[in-house]
Amino acid sequence: MSQQNISADAQPNVKYNQVGKSLTRTDAPGKAAGRTPYAGDYVMPGMLHMRVVRADIASAKLTRLDVTKARALPGVVCILTADDVAGREAATDIPGQTGQKRMDTDQQILVHERVKYYGEPIALIAAESRDVANAALELVEFDLEPIPGVYDPEEAMKPGSPIVQGIDNIVAEHKIRKGDPEKALAEADLVIENTFHTPFQEHAFLEPEVGLAWTDENEVVNIRVSTQVIEHFRAIADAIGVPHNKVRIRGALVGGGFGGKEDVTVEIYLALMAKATGRPVRLEYTREDSFVGHGKRHPFKLTYKTGVTRDGRITGMDVYILADSGAYVFLSPYVLLYGAVAAPGPYKVENLNVYAQAVATNNMFTSAFRGFGGMQACAAYEQQMDEVAKALDMDPIEFRRRNYLKTGEAISTGFVPPSAIWTEECVDKAWAALGEPTVSSDHIKIGQGIAAYQQSYGRLTFLHDTSECWVGVEMDGTVIVRSGVTDIGAGQISALGQIAVEVLGVTLENVVIYNSDSAVTPLAGTTTATRALYMTGNAAKMAAEAVRERLSERAAREFDVQVDQIHMAFNVVSVIDNPDKSMAFVDLVKICASEGIHRSELSMFRAPFSDYLNPETGQGQAHPDYVYGAQAIEVAVDTDTGEVEVLKSIAAHDIGQCINKAAVEGQIEGGTQNGQGYALSEEMLYEEGKLVTPSFSEYLMPTSMDMPKVQTILLESRSGLGPFGSKGIGEPALTPVAPAIANAVANAIGVRIFELPITPERIIKALKEKQAAN
Amino acid sequence: MPVEYELDIPQSLDEALNALASDNGSSVTPLAGGTNLIIDIRSRRERPARVVGLDYVSELRAIDCTSERVTIGSRTTVTDLLDSAEIAKAAPSLVDAARVFAGHMVRNAATVGGNIACGSPAADLVPPLMSLDAEVTLSSKSGSRTVALADYFTGYKQDVRNADELITQVAWDRLPEHSVNTFRKLGRRKGDAITVTGVALTVVVEDGVCQRARIALGSVGPTVFRARQAEALLEGKVLSNELFDAAARKAASESSPIDDVRASAEYRLHTIETLTRRLLTQAWARLA
Amino acid sequence: MSSPKKITLRINGVNETLEAPAHRTLLEALRDLGHVEVKCGCEKGDCGACAVSIDGVAVDSCLTLAWMVEGREITTVSGLGDIENPHPLQKSFSDLGAIQCGYCTPGMIMASKSVIDRNPNPTDDDIRVGLSGNLCRCTGYTKIFEAVQDAASVMRGEGDKQ
Ligand SMILES: Cc1cc2nc3c(=O)[nH]c(=O)nc-3n(C[C@H](O)[C@H](O)[C@H](O)COP(=O)(O)OP(=O)(O)OC[C@H]3O[C@@H](n4cnc5c(N)ncnc54)[C@H](O)[C@@H]3O)c2cc1C
Ligand code: FES
Ligand code: FES
Repeated sequence: MSQQNISADAQPNVKYNQVGKSLTRTDAPGKAAGRTPYAGDYVMPGMLHMRVVRADIASAKLTRLDVTKARALPGVVCILTADDVAGREAATDIPGQTGQKRMDTDQQILVHERVKYYGEPIALIAAESRDVANAALELVEFDLEPIPGVYDPEEAMKPGSPIVQGIDNIVAEHKIRKGDPEKALAEADLVIENTFHTPFQEHAFLEPEVGLAWTDENEVVNIRVSTQVIEHFRAIADAIGVPHNKVRIRGALVGGGFGGKEDVTVEIYLALMAKATGRPVRLEYTREDSFVGHGKRHPFKLTYKTGVTRDGRITGMDVYILADSGAYVFLSPYVLLYGAVAAPGPYKVENLNVYAQAVATNNMFTSAFRGFGGMQACAAYEQQMDEVAKALDMDPIEFRRRNYLKTGEAISTGFVPPSAIWTEECVDKAWAALGEPTVSSDHIKIGQGIAAYQQSYGRLTFLHDTSECWVGVEMDGTVIVRSGVTDIGAGQISALGQIAVEVLGVTLENVVIYNSDSAVTPLAGTTTATRALYMTGNAAKMAAEAVRERLSERAAREFDVQVDQIHMAFNVVSVIDNPDKSMAFVDLVKICASEGIHRSELSMFRAPFSDYLNPETGQGQAHPDYVYGAQAIEVAVDTDTGEVEVLKSIAAHDIGQCINKAAVEGQIEGGTQNGQGYALSEEMLYEEGKLVTPSFSEYLMPTSMDMPKVQTILLESRSGLGPFGSKGIGEPALTPVAPAIANAVANAIGVRIFELPITPERIIKALKEKQAAN
Repeated sequence: MPVEYELDIPQSLDEALNALASDNGSSVTPLAGGTNLIIDIRSRRERPARVVGLDYVSELRAIDCTSERVTIGSRTTVTDLLDSAEIAKAAPSLVDAARVFAGHMVRNAATVGGNIACGSPAADLVPPLMSLDAEVTLSSKSGSRTVALADYFTGYKQDVRNADELITQVAWDRLPEHSVNTFRKLGRRKGDAITVTGVALTVVVEDGVCQRARIALGSVGPTVFRARQAEALLEGKVLSNELFDAAARKAASESSPIDDVRASAEYRLHTIETLTRRLLTQAWARLA
Repeated sequence: MSSPKKITLRINGVNETLEAPAHRTLLEALRDLGHVEVKCGCEKGDCGACAVSIDGVAVDSCLTLAWMVEGREITTVSGLGDIENPHPLQKSFSDLGAIQCGYCTPGMIMASKSVIDRNPNPTDDDIRVGLSGNLCRCTGYTKIFEAVQDAASVMRGEGDKQ
């Protein structure tokens, strides 16, 4: 294991038996042995194979659709077109178990007449075999008459521009205002203005979207699917026109999500086809389907005006954010809101104006992606901090130090996060660990950079989020955890086990966790928004504590001591002051069983509920709480070729409290890869809305040869709202990576590239411009 | 159903050449490692009626090095090149290329013959082989012929091979003592990347004078090609930094790159120049 | 038009028979036979999720035709070990946190085995080069490098370094 990890304990005396350790995750051995069935690994007798026919022009009118030839192909069983789903739409708004009002963002299921983006589904094919389904795909004939489209959000806002959504293409707006930003900027010693561009990004989970659906003896449509959100069953039922209790989602361990399996993907197509054919149907996206079949990260354009005093204090800030929502709305309003709330970063800005707009275009629709708007904001505000420091001729860390938001101070929305704000600690530790820069040589220039961040965990509080978990003890002392939570690879379910065994004083080998069945496991909400540990972890802890309370009461009677004298750890129950008095956990359980003492509990955890933010000022509570941390990066830039090598990557995050240390480090290391790709190499290129990089040989995420060994520094303030004072790390892990790399590159070559990704090409161009200017 | 094709699995070179001769070879396609062909068939870029799998034609998988000449069978894989101590000595540029070629599994399958035959300007083994003055042997039922690799390609994915011919081997004369042979690939990332620009270089120096210069360029024209004018600037001269600048500029001017999703033509021209200069400078430092 | 034929594949030491047309890839054939531990991530050789070994050499099964590997020794990740008796790589991957979603893992372990088979004492750089055809979106590779080093030392008989 890496020894570099330093922890700054807030309460060094806290001792856990299971929590905080790098235990082998419950799901790992099965995955290593190839024994874990993923959604795509299930088959059923009589199963049909599906393919999706897609539009090959981004903005067009469907003038002819002829499926006769395809239908005539032997082995083709069913082809569905818009005519078969007349009058039905699919909801694309935030999935919820909360009953909050949804936005009006419904979308056609199959192209009826108007194609709005490249790859929009036109027809669904089901056939007896994959080969036949593939062949039928080529036999479906359709004509698309091009309609002028719009591919740039700024163009899309201009009068006379083609309309993609609503009356003016503007699908969302948010404002945040406090203090007197105009006055502050007018009176500032210095105002620095810069505009930053962030790109589309593909989630690139390794497991393409896949599912298997069938109708059971109760006329319930069952869907075994790779999803982050089993509670889409309601939206799916609405879309296919059945009551909510007639759709059951059975998840599986997910082969990566990152937000890309947060919206509905294959579910509605599967459900429609299972109903239409009465047979089990399977749909697996090809990689190219996946590239065009789910929403991407929103490209943002962010303009920052920062007013400062000569001695480096931010007096005011004005931020304009423009996001490309693509052809449909999906989660754009929420992503945009995250961006607006995060806009000033982890800094104290008393006079603030943020105006954010999301605009529809005929590009691929954009939606959830790890970091969810907050990371785009960070990509801009942390580069802006370096630019302002440069203008002030001040050390970038010193400039940050003068402006950090401190524990107990209010963020942009006026809300005071209830937990510790350890930005400064994280920055200092990460920077110190980076050490002295490697020496530059002839055409290799070395640079170092830092970025700090603020990222929420838990969903928007006006969504009134809840989560349930059930914990029970079997008669042989083994433990069962049941919760609807989906596990997208971060160890979500293993963490629930680790929490339950900590509380119950047993060991992780003795736990089995059942998850992600919308009909059977208690509904736990989504695995999104860095909420699974916070929400479901708390529910698991509450349930385990309730069971423990009853067991320890009985043990106290057995030993004739007070309840608070009972200690439970490693399958043994003992008396704290008299450890000789003890018994095996299983014996206590047997006593409880024979006396009818309830050995299980179903608990619901509720996040703080709030109203919607003030629409004019954006003031109020947006999220339950925030995570703070930093990334430090060293790069080598080849000035002949523009190639960038990341030499050192150091992450310091206050995660509140580790549940599984290796899993936390894993999130951070993986987030670093994702952020490094975003900063340097991942590029989705579109021509008139058509994706021209739809494969992993064109869309380039970092390989093993591109990644440095990531060094992680974990700080534990134990101040979070999650179980044992934990916060969350899923999204925060990624947030500061790209701006830290951008700052390191700017430091290396002495010129900033304001658009991500920082490709070799852009570096050469910037160097040439710099040379010409000198 | 267009994906379908017949598949022959010959057990010897004769059987393979016979299979290729059927239909006059018109829609018969050899299959080596399959790392291009399988993908091209699936995406319908290739629609062969008959495929001839070469896995069991063991004659074609060999590396033979004498003190005079190096011969590589066409079915030799990229991994075979990496594993050969003799190739490491005889063709450093080929090893440079093999090391940054695709990923491990593709290297285990991809062959030298397939890399040449696919005709891609981004084929990484071709600039090194061209810089070594390699010759390609083409064989059919009716006999064999040898073509200089530098004359093998006639246009983008066009070559002199007849449909019933198989590339059976590539061979070249070993380089003399005072020589440097290197390759530098520029991709959009370090691991498993398609080449944006590739430069292979051979410099032979005797008594301080450049006797032979070979500069073969990848991904900056419809085919891999030799920058013959740049080579001419160097040959017969006492090498110097000024000469390297001139040769590098010349190499760029001989290139005709295009814009694509990986890079612009402008960037390719820039890097052809900087990389050529760098390789020449480094070669000179090693020879001095 | 080609007709399917009956072929016999030797998978993890057991002969299995299926009807397959010429264009059937080894990946499709293995999954049709229930070897769903072999994953499909791209069908283009770009991701390595489908890696298996053939006579000890790791290849992408999506780029291999099933007919071409009749009679050869095909090994998938499940042929290396099982949950009770894991191969050192399976154990180190799972104990050291080198597995997150696990979708890349079957291919990653097969490629790692190939790295160690070729060089029992690999440097970090050997591992990097050996795994560059295996994409992972979850781990950032750091723990994978550690797991391969750890397994290599176990396989050299030095015990694990944890
Ligand atoms: C993920 C991935 C990464 C890649 N990375 C690289 C890279 O970094 N550098 C690079 O150069 N290439 C790369 N390639 C492309 C490919 O691997 C190489 O071009 C490889 O050398 C092709 O060889 P093969 O044996 O697989 O050819 P095949 O796919 O079997 O055949 C390719 C073509 O050559 C013909 N052919 C094959 N053998 C012969 C012969 N003996 N005589 C006549 N014709 C023949 C075939 O008919 C076909 O048209 C990559 C491919 C993939 C999938
Ligand atoms: S599925 Fe074979 S390499 Fe991706
Ligand atoms: S663990 Fe998810 S792709 Fe590697």
